[in-house]
Amino acid sequence: MAARMERERQVSCPQCGAPAPFRGTAVSLVCEHCGSTVVRTGLDVRLLGKVSAIVDDGSPVLLGARGSFAGRGFEIVGRLQLRYARGAWSEWFLQFADGPGWLADFQGNFAVTRPGPALAAIPTYYNMAIGTWHEVHGASYMVVDKRAARYQGAEGCLPFAAEPGLTFFAVDLAGPDDGFVTLDYGVDPYHTRPDVFVGRAVELAELGLDRLRRFEGWRD
Amino acid sequence: MTEAAPQRLFRDEARTEAVQCPACGGPIALRGFGAIQRVVCPACGSLLRPEDSGALALIFRAARAHQPSVLPLHARGRLDGATWEIVGIAWRRILHPRWDWQEFLLYNPYRGYRYLTHSIQDGHWSLGQVIPGAPRVVDGERHAIEHRGRRYRHFSGADAHVTYAEGEFPWQVQVGDVAHIDDFVAPPRGISIEEVDGRDGVELTRTAMRHLDADEVWRAFERPDKPPRQKGVGMLAPNPWAEQSRPLWLSCLGLMIAWYFAVQYVAGRCSEREVFLATDLRFDSALAQEVTIGEPGAYTTVEVSFTAYPLDNSWAFAEVVLIPVDGEDAIGLGLEASSYHGFEDGESWFEGDRQVDRILGRVAGGRYLLQVTPERDTSSLDDPLGLGLSGFGPRSPDTYSLRLREDVWLTRYAALPVPVILGFPLLAWMLGRRRERKRWQNSDHAT
Repeated sequence: MAARMERERQVSCPQCGAPAPFRGTAVSLVCEHCGSTVVRTGLDVRLLGKVSAIVDDGSPVLLGARGSFAGRGFEIVGRLQLRYARGAWSEWFLQFADGPGWLADFQGNFAVTRPGPALAAIPTYYNMAIGTWHEVHGASYMVVDKRAARYQGAEGCLPFAAEPGLTFFAVDLAGPDDGFVTLDYGVDPYHTRPDVFVGRAVELAELGLDRLRRFEGWRD
Repeated sequence: MTEAAPQRLFRDEARTEAVQCPACGGPIALRGFGAIQRVVCPACGSLLRPEDSGALALIFRAARAHQPSVLPLHARGRLDGATWEIVGIAWRRILHPRWDWQEFLLYNPYRGYRYLTHSIQDGHWSLGQVIPGAPRVVDGERHAIEHRGRRYRHFSGADAHVTYAEGEFPWQVQVGDVAHIDDFVAPPRGISIEEVDGRDGVELTRTAMRHLDADEVWRAFERPDKPPRQKGVGMLAPNPWAEQSRPLWLSCLGLMIAWYFAVQYVAGRCSEREVFLATDLRFDSALAQEVTIGEPGAYTTVEVSFTAYPLDNSWAFAEVVLIPVDGEDAIGLGLEASSYHGFEDGESWFEGDRQVDRILGRVAGGRYLLQVTPERDTSSLDDPLGLGLSGFGPRSPDTYSLRLREDVWLTRYAALPVPVILGFPLLAWMLGRRRERKRWQNSDHAT
């Protein structure tokens, strides 16, 4: 284990030579120093080129912040920023002690989701209609949003190789209360085995993040 | 290029900006920090789009005049335990029946957005927040939804048009935009479902609202003078009568039970002692007899019962006087017993009281002279043919009976508090219903 950690720390950016601190099962990393995307495949590290062009979406969340959700601590290790018709939003990649998770961040609305078991049969992206109800792990959820979102930018580590030009397809479902499910179809809207992420909507304050961005004229 | 990327990670303090409108050159303060999709110049109404570079691109040039809203752009106020700034204002209108409101987009970078709404027609306010949950449609004869255990009834559904805008918006606002809005209410809360046709089909935005008092808003934003007057019953205005109805009915029930047992207890303690009883008294002479009522120096109740026989389409009357032997104030009362019946238009009818009971409230204890002067219906006795005796027509009474009992329970007092006890919840119920009727007059479901 120690040897592995050592190797992780030794990975450096092929572009500028700065350390590339991959975390856990992360596959890609945006070099903090030069903005290049570094992809890790096994022991091999290759360069995707400079692709990250994060725009300011007004998020108060900061990479590297620590917080907790449902009694479990996490660290924000990466961010995927996407853009669709209603603007840009961020999916923050969370590293819990027992695995990954995501913090969806759209215009002050937050939801934490964690990977859930795969579902037997889910319609393809295009066959999911807004307002329809679906069973997910025994509970009912309604489709509240579906979007084809363009890759905008990234920072830190991500569990897949995010590239410019990619379009990600996802469907959000909401339960009668705060229950929240994201069906992630990835880049292919035609399959019926989307990755399932289950969680709930949260107020930012309840995550107890140890640092937040500062805004002129505001105190948190 | 190498140096550009790390500097655009937005970890430093986000700053407000002051720029110039590319259309009219007027000043525009940018205070929305990044998530803004559209900026409408407060001065000229031109529609602008923030570019990734931070510059404002002109989408649509306008030359409308600035119009004052109830609250000004960039005013700050404290609501729900946080500070909010008005970063955008949109005026919206339903055409038929006409309904106008001003929507203030409140922003706090750590908490996101809230929607403060002011109805022009009735002056009422509400505060809205987008909810992640999906309200469930309740089966029933009337459209209703359920969210977090609360049931909301459909109030109205209509297309709302944006008629005026200024400031910053995290969505692509444009004057003339139409959205279908369905309001569901469970005062003082409500849920508004807004349908917007998007590229990917219909988008549903669900907003939870709660009623705000105009004074509360005015205090929150530290406005001078008085807020616009609130008229009528707002869609989400609380109904104190309806809210009070449950505790009122419960306390009413409690009081009734307490009163019932109190009555049982007090009535059970009444001795109902017979003071005087005489039957088969003749009508031809007056009666005079001394009776003793109660204890000297104490008060009691006295029940006087009078009846006569036979009573057949006739009447009998007794004037009863109680003259205190040692006192001055005599008590007098007249008692009339009667019985009338017949057969008319295929129906038999009956009226009258064969026995009359009268209760005297405060009667001082002591000795009394009971004087009874009876009278009776003598019409049949005057009948020379004596038809009355044959069973037809009126029969005059032959005898009468009189009974006096002391320390009896005053039933009229027992019933007295009942209307009072029932009155409060009934009144609250009626006032509550009236308020609800007023509220629902403005809905799609007015009765």
